Amino acid sequence: MRTKRWAPYALIAPTLLLMAVFLVYPIASVVHYSLQRYNVTQPWKNGFIGLENFRVMLTEDPLFWQSLVFSAKWVVVEVGLQLLLGLVLALIVNETFIGRGLARAMVFSPWAVSGVLTTGIWILLYNPSTGIFQQLAEWGIGSPGTSVLGDPATVFPATVVTELWRGVPFFAILLLADLQSIPNDLYEAAAVDGAGRWRRFISVTLPHLKDAIILSTLLRAVWEFNNVDLIYTLTGGGPANQTTTLPLYVARKAVDSHDFGYGSALTVAGFVILLFFSILYLRLSKFGSRA
Amino acid sequence: MSRVLRLHVPLALYLLFTLVPFYWMLVFALRPTGSTALVPWPITFEHFDTVWNGIGFGTFFYNSMVIALGVLVFVSVLSLMGGYALARFKFRGQRLFLVALLCTQFIPGAMMLIPLFVIFREVGLLNSLTGLIVADVAFQLPLALILMSGFVRNIPVELEEAAMVDGCTRLRAFFAVMLPQLKPALVAVGSFAFIGAWNNFLFALMFASRQDKFTLPVGLSYALGEFNTDFGALAAGGVVAAVPVVLVFAVVQRFLVQGLSAGAVKG
Amino acid sequence: MRALLVVLALVLSACSSGGGSGKTTIVFWDNNGGPGRTPIYEELIKRFEAANPDIDVEYVGIPSSSVQQKYDTAIAGGSTPDVGGVTTSYLAHLVGQEALVALDDRVEGSALKGKLLPSLVETVRQTAPDGKLYSVPSSGNMDVIWYRTDWFTQAGITPPKTWDELVAAAQRLTDPAANRYGYTIRGGAGSVFQLLTEAYSYSGVAEFFSGGKSTVGDARNAELVGKIAALYKKATPEADVNNSYTQMVAQFTGGSVGMMHHNLGSYGDVTKALGDRVAALPLPVGPSGKRTVVPNPTDGFAVFKNSENQDAAWKFVEFLTSKESNSYWNEKVGQIPANTEVRDAAWIASNQPVKMALGVLEDPATVTVPAPVYLPQYSSITKTDSEPQYQKVLLGELTPQAFLDEMASKLTAAQKEWEERR
Repeated sequence: MRTKRWAPYALIAPTLLLMAVFLVYPIASVVHYSLQRYNVTQPWKNGFIGLENFRVMLTEDPLFWQSLVFSAKWVVVEVGLQLLLGLVLALIVNETFIGRGLARAMVFSPWAVSGVLTTGIWILLYNPSTGIFQQLAEWGIGSPGTSVLGDPATVFPATVVTELWRGVPFFAILLLADLQSIPNDLYEAAAVDGAGRWRRFISVTLPHLKDAIILSTLLRAVWEFNNVDLIYTLTGGGPANQTTTLPLYVARKAVDSHDFGYGSALTVAGFVILLFFSILYLRLSKFGSRA
Repeated sequence: MSRVLRLHVPLALYLLFTLVPFYWMLVFALRPTGSTALVPWPITFEHFDTVWNGIGFGTFFYNSMVIALGVLVFVSVLSLMGGYALARFKFRGQRLFLVALLCTQFIPGAMMLIPLFVIFREVGLLNSLTGLIVADVAFQLPLALILMSGFVRNIPVELEEAAMVDGCTRLRAFFAVMLPQLKPALVAVGSFAFIGAWNNFLFALMFASRQDKFTLPVGLSYALGEFNTDFGALAAGGVVAAVPVVLVFAVVQRFLVQGLSAGAVKG
Repeated sequence: MRALLVVLALVLSACSSGGGSGKTTIVFWDNNGGPGRTPIYEELIKRFEAANPDIDVEYVGIPSSSVQQKYDTAIAGGSTPDVGGVTTSYLAHLVGQEALVALDDRVEGSALKGKLLPSLVETVRQTAPDGKLYSVPSSGNMDVIWYRTDWFTQAGITPPKTWDELVAAAQRLTDPAANRYGYTIRGGAGSVFQLLTEAYSYSGVAEFFSGGKSTVGDARNAELVGKIAALYKKATPEADVNNSYTQMVAQFTGGSVGMMHHNLGSYGDVTKALGDRVAALPLPVGPSGKRTVVPNPTDGFAVFKNSENQDAAWKFVEFLTSKESNSYWNEKVGQIPANTEVRDAAWIASNQPVKMALGVLEDPATVTVPAPVYLPQYSSITKTDSEPQYQKVLLGELTPQAFLDEMASKLTAAQKEWEERR
């Protein structure tokens, strides 16, 4: 197809312009601040300090490493479970049954709920005196006063469940959509070959979903890595920093301690890590290579 | 029997997991403060009165709606243009552009607040719904564009070529052949954008400093403050914020699923 | 030429007021917007505008959890309000960024002269390196123990006067099987601010710094921290280790807790849910019997330097802290009015918590120990650094003494730096 050479540039021009104005400059300024001492509570100390923030981060700040480890755990557990449950859910609502439309609408609905509201709802639900566990205790299940957010043993699973509530539908929607685009004759051919339900899933369904799974897990992983609001509101990163992710640590430094310089350095570290893993992931998964 | 185990039981369990939190919110919204009744009876609307008339959820609702609709329109149009360019053309800098799109997702919005604020002030976009629309569009567009390019790619290029052979210009061919095919995709990308904008808290709070420009998530966060804890109001506000999106979502999810099945997230 | 300037000035003022009606518009940020306080300000603004027809006040309610971020962004972006509600817990940051106007002369030349509670004025002054008044205090707050009167009656015990009595009462009131706990600890956001007031009320240590060294690590402070930590899970809900205000107050108003340490600010929340089944006690005292009070952050109103209508802004601040407005606000919120003329208002006599708090403050035997909120690193040290450490103490992973010593050494270093700079 021959076409004018400027056409694609004209088409992406508005996006480029928006990105240049609203994303490039702010991102550049984060990098700039990461090389500064910049704390609004002590403006007289502000100024260029080179790589000092990074030196402190890498050599003197155990919380940086701790939060990085927790971030990794959070992303892996969260994205893994969301993918698994999302896939199961998509397979279920892809079946034909009465009331399927309504069931789909209902199981997908948490996706539409905002972060502030999700945490609000779950604070109500987890509340030890007026929440679900108190109600269950009154029915004789569990003990009264159970606080899943207060007990170091349960705070992580409780937070994971909350994010699953909102995150699973994202995968379910995308995967359901892709399931529906599988031509029926592929299944029929497999059935002729004598493949059972499980075999058909492995040899037909999964390969077809591959690209969708790669892209959605990547987008979701980035998103979960940077997801601050939910953990911040539910646990505040506690108890004793056990649930502090890197971006949550950034928020505590930049917002609570007003230390934008160090917060920016942490952000740059997060950026580099995400970039590295994204490229690695796309390479290793051979994304886009059609079998 | 196996169908019950395979289908009905897991579905019922998952529905329970989805709906119990919603029900909990509804119960808090409809029963008087201090009550712990599991069935809110008699129903009280005092919390709705508090949020709607007391803290101005009426205004917040209107603002959220205007912003979300604006974002929906702009993200749809711009992602269609950019997605088409990515899928149908080969051009210098294409790969770089893609990586740049992805990179924009790597930095949390909270770290960009101050520089963004300065830009907004310079271009006169503070305290306006237009400004919030622009900010949301800028942040939603990269993702929408990646998704949209996948949809476009999955529509056979032959369709378009056939139309152009028939004497259509590329533009005519796009409107005559591609757009009808992309309708479901637009629904999908549009609803993602709508929901993203509807739920944005930080930008609305930071780039607006006027009570009549705040949005629903700002209103919700009022009910969680020190000295202002009001679970009834929080829940009632939550119902106000959730019901419209959940309803809209229930209606469009049919198109959404069709739309994505037309091509979905194919690189 | 002059005519041109006048026209220009008119155009500019019309622009800045937005409406073009020739009125002055000032923007006011409420630092704790929400269902509790927004209506109070709306009423006061209505009254102000009726009395000052040439001034419009634009109310903006900021959610309290985001107010510092909002101020930081606005100051860095050069777009601050005319008047803002501020508390002394972050006043020093605003002063450090040179965002505020000193109001000493304004107060001197107004009806407020000599009418503001001296202890509150002092608290505000202490936040600024130059000792000037950067906000007009509007209300005082005091840490109290909210307690369930009905539980105490039921158990036949009297409200505690000393910390040891409180510990005993907490244990006495606890019945895990019935989901009843005697006390609740704030272990999450905001924990250390409260813990310090508890520690000093017990130890009776009268100064935050002694010879430039922080007294936080005093053995008696550690003793109290140990006593509180020992209550965790035994006489308090398990959730407490992560309790922020929201969760703590939900437990109390939800009826599973007998005593809660917070301040007068929760008056609205607790009385709305519990009515006359709740009352306030002063923080108990320690073995010395001395009453030492770490003052709670003081609420006030500040005028921002970038305001183009500082006269109008001041008028509004003056109005908000006038006898009538101050009385109205504090009656609704249940805090100590900063304007001394309100002292004899009828509502104070019938408001048990405020009356009790005033009694404590006016008692000559009471010693106040102001926290060094003037230190730029104060909230960074006591919040970001120390709150997770306190959680470790509650979980038994750190001793109270080690926890306090660590905080004390940071505070000592910050104080030294501050002295040198001054």
